[in-house]
Amino acid sequence: MSPNQGYFVVYLFTNLEPKIKYSEQELVALLNEQNNDAFNYLYDHYSGALFTIINQIVPDKDTSSDVLQEVFVNVWRKIGTYDETKGRLFTWMLNIARNAAIDKVRSKGYKDNQRTQPIAEGENAGMSISSNPMVNDVGLKKVLTTLNEEYRKLIDLSYFQGFTHEEIAKMLGIPLGTVKTRIRTAISQLRTMIR
Amino acid sequence: MNIKEYISSGVVESYVLGMLSAQEKFDFEQYCEVYPELKAARNAFELAIEKQAMENAVSPPINVKEKVFSAIQQKPASNTSKIVSTEPTIRKSSGLRWMAAASIILFLVTGYFAYTLYNQNKDLNNSLKSLQVKVDQMEEYHKIMSDPNVAVVNLVAMTPAKASASIYWDSTSSDVYLLIKNMPQLPSDKQYQLWSIMNGEKGQLQPNSLGLFDVGENQKIILKMSNVKKADAFAITIEKRGNTEGPNLEQLQSMGKTKIQ
Repeated sequence: MSPNQGYFVVYLFTNLEPKIKYSEQELVALLNEQNNDAFNYLYDHYSGALFTIINQIVPDKDTSSDVLQEVFVNVWRKIGTYDETKGRLFTWMLNIARNAAIDKVRSKGYKDNQRTQPIAEGENAGMSISSNPMVNDVGLKKVLTTLNEEYRKLIDLSYFQGFTHEEIAKMLGIPLGTVKTRIRTAISQLRTMIR
Repeated sequence: MNIKEYISSGVVESYVLGMLSAQEKFDFEQYCEVYPELKAARNAFELAIEKQAMENAVSPPINVKEKVFSAIQQKPASNTSKIVSTEPTIRKSSGLRWMAAASIILFLVTGYFAYTLYNQNKDLNNSLKSLQVKVDQMEEYHKIMSDPNVAVVNLVAMTPAKASASIYWDSTSSDVYLLIKNMPQLPSDKQYQLWSIMNGEKGQLQPNSLGLFDVGENQKIILKMSNVKKADAFAITIEKRGNTEGPNLEQLQSMGKTKIQ
């Protein structure tokens, strides 16, 4: 191997190997300056994780791709509203992704496109989805499967489908206070399971 | 508040997952400022969620990245949210402002140089003109002095002031030139006057004015005086400025006799 080839291999190795280039503070500072390299890094580093989350809420791959695009454009534009004292950058992006995905599922356009799929209306919607594992069980969803049936249903409705506690109480015919307590309990169990 | 109970209530996880009401969220953030252990618990769950999500990452289709990048580059900065958009707008306008400032400075500098060059050019032109005049004069003097028909009459000093001059007298054209050698400057109310003098038949001197002249730093050293065809002598007197009368011979400064005629 000539020295040049050797350097080339080193070059490839150092450049293809995904290594952490920025601290989170550096990354946020650069994103606030609209730095293209930093945004490129952000996309390469986090797009897969966010895509998984989105995909768990929006099962259709094309639609979840659209949502992912929308999420990153919003991250680029709204990075100035990110407050690092309130949480990590990923947490902020995760919530943007979750909200965007839920909005998409609830949009009229999405519902019209999904007409061919058997989606029950009203109170039965949550029940049918939670009892029907239509989404790949990865990540958080996989953790959910370790919860008991009742807790899983509540997390699915509240976290993945974004229903409010009031809506869930109505849907399941359980008092609002009970819904709140049970969701809290279910979520607090997540902590021990995730570690 | 029992912070341990609060932490284990599931509020930390609910906060990180974005499942708290606005009021609960606000309270949680306030408590985080007060209780470091609450903040630590939040951070720990955030890291756990992030790790979980990274481990289960699924690469999106490649074209999504292209779409994202074309979307953020196509949209003008003014369409984006305030915080993000203000900076590039300021940069653009400051760039324009810089350009404007630069062009004004450039304009002023060029103007200054043009003005300086114009003045230098004007000065050079003026000195060239005065040099040309001097050269013309010198050529003329040279012509006069080298002309075989021109006679030289030296006027010698008649007083302690030692005023001396020479007359170049062209016998063919009758032109008279006065070369000033040593003539003291006079008060402003006085002038020198050159006379040609003829010896009259009865022994009387007949003076004829060839003109009044001043002597000073800016004066020519060779003066063209009035023509005269015949003269036995030339003389210079000091007269009052603009004198129209005859010569004041008491103020005779210098005199010289002509050799010809």
